[in-house]
Amino acid sequence: MLDKILSSRFWSWLFKGYGIVFLIFLYLPLGLIFVYSFNANSINMAVWTDFTFDWYLTIFGGANSQSEFDAAFTESPERIFEVVRNSAVVALCASTISTVIGTATAIALQRYNFAGKKFYQALLILPMIVPDIVLGIALLIFFVGAGFELSLLTIIIGHTTFLASYVFIVVSARLAGMDTTLEQASADLGAGPLTTFRRVTLPQIMPGVVGGFLLAFIISLDDVVITYFIAGVGSQTLPIFILAMMRRGLRPQINALAVLLLAFSFVVAAIGLYLRSRKT
Amino acid sequence: MNMIKYLKSGVAIAASVMAMTSIASAEGSLNLYNWGEYINPEIIEDFSKEFDVDVTLDTYSTNEEMLARIQAGATGYDLVWPSVHMHDIMQKLNLLQPTNVNQMPGFENIDPSALRSKEDPKAEYCLPYAWGAVGIFYNKEMIPELTSWQQFFDYAAANPGKVTMLDDLRETLGVGLILNGASVNSSDKDEITAAEEFILKQKPNIGAFRYDIIPLVTAGDMAASHYYVGAVLNANQSPDKLGFVIPEEGATMYQEDICMLKTAPNTANALKFLEFMMRPDVSAKNTERLTNGSVNTAAIALLPDELKNHPAVNPPAEMRAKLQIFDDLGKSLRLYTRAWDRVKTN
Amino acid sequence: MAGSGAILARKRRTLILLLAPLTLMLSVFFLIPLSIMVIYSFLEPGLYGGVEWNWYPYNYGRILGWPLNDFETFEVIYLKIFLNSAQIAVMTVIVTFLLSYPAAFWVSRMTGARKNLALFLITLPFFANMLVRIYAWLLLLRPTGFFNTILQSTGLIAEPLNLLFTNFSVIIGMVYILTPFMFLPIYASVEKLDYSLVRASQDLGANPIQTFRRVILPLTAPGIIGGSVIVFIPALGNFIVPAFLGGSKVQMTGNLIERSFLQSRDWPFGAALALLIMAFVVILVMFQISRQNRAAERGIA
Repeated sequence: MLDKILSSRFWSWLFKGYGIVFLIFLYLPLGLIFVYSFNANSINMAVWTDFTFDWYLTIFGGANSQSEFDAAFTESPERIFEVVRNSAVVALCASTISTVIGTATAIALQRYNFAGKKFYQALLILPMIVPDIVLGIALLIFFVGAGFELSLLTIIIGHTTFLASYVFIVVSARLAGMDTTLEQASADLGAGPLTTFRRVTLPQIMPGVVGGFLLAFIISLDDVVITYFIAGVGSQTLPIFILAMMRRGLRPQINALAVLLLAFSFVVAAIGLYLRSRKT
Repeated sequence: MNMIKYLKSGVAIAASVMAMTSIASAEGSLNLYNWGEYINPEIIEDFSKEFDVDVTLDTYSTNEEMLARIQAGATGYDLVWPSVHMHDIMQKLNLLQPTNVNQMPGFENIDPSALRSKEDPKAEYCLPYAWGAVGIFYNKEMIPELTSWQQFFDYAAANPGKVTMLDDLRETLGVGLILNGASVNSSDKDEITAAEEFILKQKPNIGAFRYDIIPLVTAGDMAASHYYVGAVLNANQSPDKLGFVIPEEGATMYQEDICMLKTAPNTANALKFLEFMMRPDVSAKNTERLTNGSVNTAAIALLPDELKNHPAVNPPAEMRAKLQIFDDLGKSLRLYTRAWDRVKTN
Repeated sequence: MAGSGAILARKRRTLILLLAPLTLMLSVFFLIPLSIMVIYSFLEPGLYGGVEWNWYPYNYGRILGWPLNDFETFEVIYLKIFLNSAQIAVMTVIVTFLLSYPAAFWVSRMTGARKNLALFLITLPFFANMLVRIYAWLLLLRPTGFFNTILQSTGLIAEPLNLLFTNFSVIIGMVYILTPFMFLPIYASVEKLDYSLVRASQDLGANPIQTFRRVILPLTAPGIIGGSVIVFIPALGNFIVPAFLGGSKVQMTGNLIERSFLQSRDWPFGAALALLIMAFVVILVMFQISRQNRAAERGIA
């Protein structure tokens, strides 16, 4: 009955309508960023003056913008490229490593019973609740004391310490209560644990693993405070760069950059989706 | 399988990036650690071209943020830009090294009254960089003429939520102290409590405690904001609409000095940069962008009239006399932090 | 017998292999730095940041009321700030849940390429920098912003509403940046929802509300709990949203801790505050987990 109700026309319209509202909520601020990325006002993006493409051009080093006065307000393309690259490298490495670690831990805690399980559950929560500033300064003191050179590597390590916990939670939610009969059947048929994992468990938990990876990637991409403290000279990331200019209000150049980054992720994901749909 | 492939390529990317950054910090480089938005980017470019030096600029947004990182052991930076009281602290903590900047050519241009450091009165360590007042940035369409703190708070009382103050404990409690006729460096418990009560009384009328108010005042979301003199850049862009004023009751002022860290890896280039910064044309170019007070007497002559004659950028002597600069308070800072915690919570 | 022993040994080896990376990483790069902060929280604050190596339990006294000395007086405001933060964090959890739960069903009922597209559209916004997204909300909510302009031009309101720099704007900002934290785990458990159980429940005569409460909700509970934990925790500690959208008038513990380190130069106090909050959250979450485990055991029995 409920099943029927849920698939009735009324409910499916309701779900669809809600879905649209949900997407509007998510996209309204982005729409604003998109619009303002064409605003010619170089000093104050909150006041619309004129339509311009210049902000997109300045990112690539083209179009020395309107006046000398504005030039003092635009960042060099090299600098922008550098911080974006740093962010991408850190987010990619940190989220990949933490997805592996977090997934392994989730499987261990969901599939095995052992003494100290509670300890691990508590331990995994800790990195998420340490306030950023505390972890940032503590890690800095630790890295300096242990003789690490501050660099992108220290940022990747720092991010991995707390990202693994997020992956763990998302993957665990997927594993919890999942049917284990297939895994048992595979084991009974003589498949080794690795084969069973690759052929049976992994495909089943894949949505959780992908979700955990995405979450970790997003968090790493946005982290400001921890990164700030453990970044070496010249290894600042995009959020740090943006935070520093916030005192005078965001520049339209940053809007243009955000739109470009979105467009880039959109294209990459669209290609991925297309390839997948061709495979099936 | 894919995972492993990703991991491999990730490590490869990281390794190559690391290799690139270590090349960048080879010979011929200079690493600056300055406030955000506190140097004209063209100056860095000019220096970089003239001396063929690779310059890196990292930024911070409070003195304490910079101190915390340096104290915890971050290295690699050559020059930092502490405020005068932080310059004193860093020198006391033995974090700086002497530069003998006072022996360099061009030092004769530096205004002797800008040698404000108590630890370094002869500028053997640091070079005075720039100074400025902390006043009120306002929208003339909402307040045609603003001259005093009294008027600022009266307007706020009539239009609650339309003004902002800085999210800085010493600056904002400092306004309370000034209006009660006390020193902004007071260590007197009663005076600080009075300042706390004053700000607390105004708090319902204050829209926010924040730094990034320029867009809000320009758009008319806020009428007036406690802000640094750097806002004159925006005010001069549309002088009919925006203004910046040093209130007649008095105000606080800041000054930063350029200091060389004890751990500086590129001392020779750092010294070259100090000398470069003393050139009148360079200093003037920087001031045009920062729109704050210049410490370089030869540079002031080169400034455009709208800055040279601006009463907030280059204030007359009687106004200068009303400006107070922060000292290091030592243990008494605790009185301020407790007062500020209460202001923010109650 | 020998066979089962070998299986057991192999199982143990796998378990050790699975746990080793995390154990190694957390003990070196997390527990050591954390113990530095634990030690710091019992030391005297250095005059200019850092610490003096003197035993000093009064940092906790300032927050809890005991122990105290001449310098450190008990201030009830720290508990007040904590309660306010917890309240905002709970509100954030509730709102993100209400937003994400139906959305997860909406997506899970799609098929193939459309489903992937929907998932992609929901996660895409979060690849734009968080600071930029928060800033966009500032522009939307300000007196001359998008909402007020629309409301005024339709004549619904005469004067612009005060949307910005309130608890309301802080919660909106939190919800906006934390929605994927709720959506992704919920979706992971909704997506594997076994509809044969739903049908069985209906065949047994349960009405839709009963089916929802007794079958659908418990089956998706792991996702809801997981999502709530990873929304609650960052919401409690976030200080960027209150600073930008709350105008620093809305105080959260994150702001207070940040200020102890970066304005008051009182590292031990910041560390003590952080540790107290961590203890609170760990106890809360462990309590929740053990309750859940017990419920699960009962369910199996």
